[in-house]
Amino acid sequence: MEQLTIVGKPVTRVDAEEKVTGEAVYGYDLVLPDMLYGKALFSPKPHARIKRINTEEAKQYPGVVAVITGKDAPWTHGESIKDKPFLAQDKVRYIGEPVAAVAAMDEDTAQAAVRLIEVEYEDLPAYFSPEEACKPGAIPIHENFASYRKFDFIVPGSMPNVCEHFKLRTGDVEKGFREADLVLEERYYVPVIQHAAIEPHSSHAQVDPESGRVTIWVANDAPFRALHEISEALGLSQEKIRFINPLQGGGFGSKGGLKVETIAVALAYHTKGKPVRVKFNREETFISTLTRHEAVIHIKSGVKQDGTLAARQMTLYWGAGAYAEKSPTVCIRGSLPAPGPYRIPHVRVDGYAAYTNKPVAGSFRGYGIPQGAWACEQHMDEIAKKLRMDPVELRLKNIFVDGDLAYWGEQLHSVGLKETLIKATQAIEWGKPPGFPASQLGGEEARRLKPNIKIGKGFACISKPTRTPTTSKAGVLVNSKGEITVLAGTVEIGQGCSTILSQVAAEELKVPLDKVRMAPLDTDMIPFDASTTSSRSTYHMGNAVRRAAIDAREKLMEMARPMLEAKNEELACSNGKVYLKDQPQMALPIGDVVRRKLGNDGIVRGDASYTYEIGKDLDLETGHSDHASAFYMYATQAAEVAVDEETGRVRILRMSAAHDVGKAINPLNCAAQIEGGLAMGIGSALHEEMVIDSQGKVRNPSFLDYHLVTSLDLPEMIPIIVECPEPEGPYGAKGLGEPGLAPTPAAIGNAVADAIGVRICDLPLNPERVYWAIQQKRAKGSSRWLTEVA
Amino acid sequence: MKRPEPLEIFQPASVEEASAIVKEKGPGGRFLAGGTDLIIAIKEKGLAPKYVVDLKRVPNLSGIREEADGSLTIRALTTMREVEISPLIRKRFPFLAQSAAEVGSIQIRNRATVGGNMANATPSADVAPSLLVLEARAKIASAGGERVLSLEEFFHGPGQTAMLPEEILTAIVIPPTHPKLVGEYIKFSPREMMDLAYVGVAIALVLNGKEKRCESVRIALGAVSPTPMRARKAEAVIEKQIFTEELAEKAGEEAAKECKPISDVRSSAEYRRAMVGTMTKRALLNAAAQRPGPVPWVERRERRY
Repeated sequence: MEQLTIVGKPVTRVDAEEKVTGEAVYGYDLVLPDMLYGKALFSPKPHARIKRINTEEAKQYPGVVAVITGKDAPWTHGESIKDKPFLAQDKVRYIGEPVAAVAAMDEDTAQAAVRLIEVEYEDLPAYFSPEEACKPGAIPIHENFASYRKFDFIVPGSMPNVCEHFKLRTGDVEKGFREADLVLEERYYVPVIQHAAIEPHSSHAQVDPESGRVTIWVANDAPFRALHEISEALGLSQEKIRFINPLQGGGFGSKGGLKVETIAVALAYHTKGKPVRVKFNREETFISTLTRHEAVIHIKSGVKQDGTLAARQMTLYWGAGAYAEKSPTVCIRGSLPAPGPYRIPHVRVDGYAAYTNKPVAGSFRGYGIPQGAWACEQHMDEIAKKLRMDPVELRLKNIFVDGDLAYWGEQLHSVGLKETLIKATQAIEWGKPPGFPASQLGGEEARRLKPNIKIGKGFACISKPTRTPTTSKAGVLVNSKGEITVLAGTVEIGQGCSTILSQVAAEELKVPLDKVRMAPLDTDMIPFDASTTSSRSTYHMGNAVRRAAIDAREKLMEMARPMLEAKNEELACSNGKVYLKDQPQMALPIGDVVRRKLGNDGIVRGDASYTYEIGKDLDLETGHSDHASAFYMYATQAAEVAVDEETGRVRILRMSAAHDVGKAINPLNCAAQIEGGLAMGIGSALHEEMVIDSQGKVRNPSFLDYHLVTSLDLPEMIPIIVECPEPEGPYGAKGLGEPGLAPTPAAIGNAVADAIGVRICDLPLNPERVYWAIQQKRAKGSSRWLTEVA
Repeated sequence: MKRPEPLEIFQPASVEEASAIVKEKGPGGRFLAGGTDLIIAIKEKGLAPKYVVDLKRVPNLSGIREEADGSLTIRALTTMREVEISPLIRKRFPFLAQSAAEVGSIQIRNRATVGGNMANATPSADVAPSLLVLEARAKIASAGGERVLSLEEFFHGPGQTAMLPEEILTAIVIPPTHPKLVGEYIKFSPREMMDLAYVGVAIALVLNGKEKRCESVRIALGAVSPTPMRARKAEAVIEKQIFTEELAEKAGEEAAKECKPISDVRSSAEYRRAMVGTMTKRALLNAAAQRPGPVPWVERRERRY
């Protein structure tokens, strides 16, 4: 490969300055001329029929422009299952469902008018656990489920309220269990959590009364997919819809699909052409946008005495909440690799995505992998304990390596898992006695004085697929000043894509990074991109931008050929110039090439598209596929923790995270992604949980009681980049966005179990849960969420 | 339907004037100090006061002063941040400075006032236990004059105090203390910062001689009863005794028995009760270990473990 000039270098983010100075304009900041302000009325009932809505008083309130209910917005939408109304129709299915909305001259007026809307409900039985919701005899949360339009890969199955049943069948698990020396069965639980992006949700919408054109300003992570969904819902051709994407203040999966957009669009049809802004506050964001799937996971394994895995059976109940959203695909892509990155001859997985009367669950950084890993990786440690084997040794015996045939029928390549396992565990001095920096607790003496502090180590491995197949298109423009504009539909959600894609364009056109600019994202202007999700952008859009830049470069060289009087001589690019390979002094700045050929206003445009082609679709009966994913991301994280036995408080002393990224296009950004993932994963391990009471109400919809980590809660973080190149990826790159948090809770769970000698099967590991686990161990008791370590 | 009148805000120039406004306007008004509770209650929790009386224009309502008799006056509008960094408080009562430092974030502490925090009477207020163990008094004024109450009598319940609607808390007074007084405040919460206390424990202790006989001890608890409370039965365990770890543990058990925690979204009453025991013991041991002077964050954190 040619010498890389910018790719692989730890350059500073191209958007750093505008963000740290506060110049950057996010969706939440956006103010449009003549804008009206929208507010919604949310359902106070988890499951109820709407008997009557009275909006008269609200309509009379001075300053109100429009008051609408489901009748005024008779549309439904949904990515994989079209089940969700813009505003509740006839019934409500969770506390927080938008029932009516008001547009007014200001936000306070809109809010005041919302309070005047009267709704009469008739209660229906409600379900708050995915296991309960799909028991025989449960009443359906969606009576008309059968008639909904669905993607053709959806397999609802026969149980009530199940919107997807994923099956994986490999070998014969019963045979595997019979052949095993040890059979271990456990149950794990992961509660509902939320993305908690710093910028809450907001959307602006405008409907032009004459042309019928709908314009939506929203920091959506997949504007083209959202455009498609709106177009299908409204029955409007895609040309009539335009998405303009301001900057996004974090999304983590929460800002795809349609959330607040539907309310804004519904209102915009009643404001005579004026744009409407609907901005959720934090509480509304908590109750009425999106959550991560809670998961009840049953796992059973058969193992040989030497640690070889013989069989694994898993049943996963994914709590979808009131609407399907992305639940079917979370269920598929989360259940499929849930048995872990291991060679297992006999595997049986049943994943059920079940409707409940809780807030809607959907995509969340990691897409089902963290839940599966919480169960699988702790289960692996339990197996190791039972076999009296070192957990690292147990993993090494079974983990995926190059050339393995994975249990879903795919031959694996570029597997950097083993290297991540070795490096991550080495970084916390695995195998050495609980050593921790003396400064942390005041050295030996302090430890002696603090018998209540128990130290433990643990780690966890994961592999993660990406959404496949998908397409990214890109354009690269070169003007007569030699400046580059990249047209790419990847959304800057804070992950650093504008830096990565700028580096790719700069690399291929051989210009300095400051010559490259990312065009703002507007679906009228920017070529199609599937989504900024699934850790897919560096790979897919990286490939598209790379190819578009090569296309532009080749056009420039073709143009430069007569200018440099080159006949058959080879041309090359370097430092913003085209030159003859044999006579480097014969060089022209690329801007001059454009100007001489096309004039001062000339632009040379390169275009490209990248799609990863899969062989066969997923087999719906066996879950098998010979190419389930364009690439796989592998990671191991390891933690050393201190647990205060008198309080149950867990402190993480240090944590390493080794990630196989294929090729680090920007090592600085990779390290930041890993650290950001760790911080998020640590929050979900130690305190994050949306407390939803027995009536379906979220009890902690604020950052006061929903505990994200603060900087002081974070340990020493050791990011480790492993590069096992993916041949198809740009410069060998894979993805990194999601895995940062996926093994984190399981690694911490294993470290806590190591420290206190008790396995805790429910998240989060908050002080109270850990405290009672220790108390019960002392009392020699056990409960449904505890299993005593032998 | 008529739009509501805009919220009426008064900015009196004296305590008497402020009190007179309330007398005249009647019940349903609110005093505004730092606003860190009130503004959020209005904007996000649906509180709709009839009117607001902003006290920030009243002169001489803020500042910390040591009086000739050794008592210390913290005027009501003194911010948490001022208490946290006051050299005087750090020198004499480092645990009080520490308890102020536990409140919210620096930005919040720059706005939030000690008086506002006391008048709001939140059971989990961090400075309340520290002030209780110093036997602080509340100075209350109105157009009709001034009265002084012990802080213990001042708190009546969550959000409730002994004050009449037209009365204003003007200062907290810490009476003269024993020169050998040492103390501690431990806030126990799941997060390291920007959190509410699950349990707060403050200690003020005077130990005599080499044998460490306890001449006096005061223990106060936050977040585990309707008001911040003194744990008198726990105090009785140690009072006049020779201080030992066993006694500290016994005092913790006693404190756990006499507190009255509730279960809420943060934790169960049983867990809070257990933590009162553990934290009371730790706070007593820390206080007895005598660490005078300001305490850095890292050490403050360590001391909870």
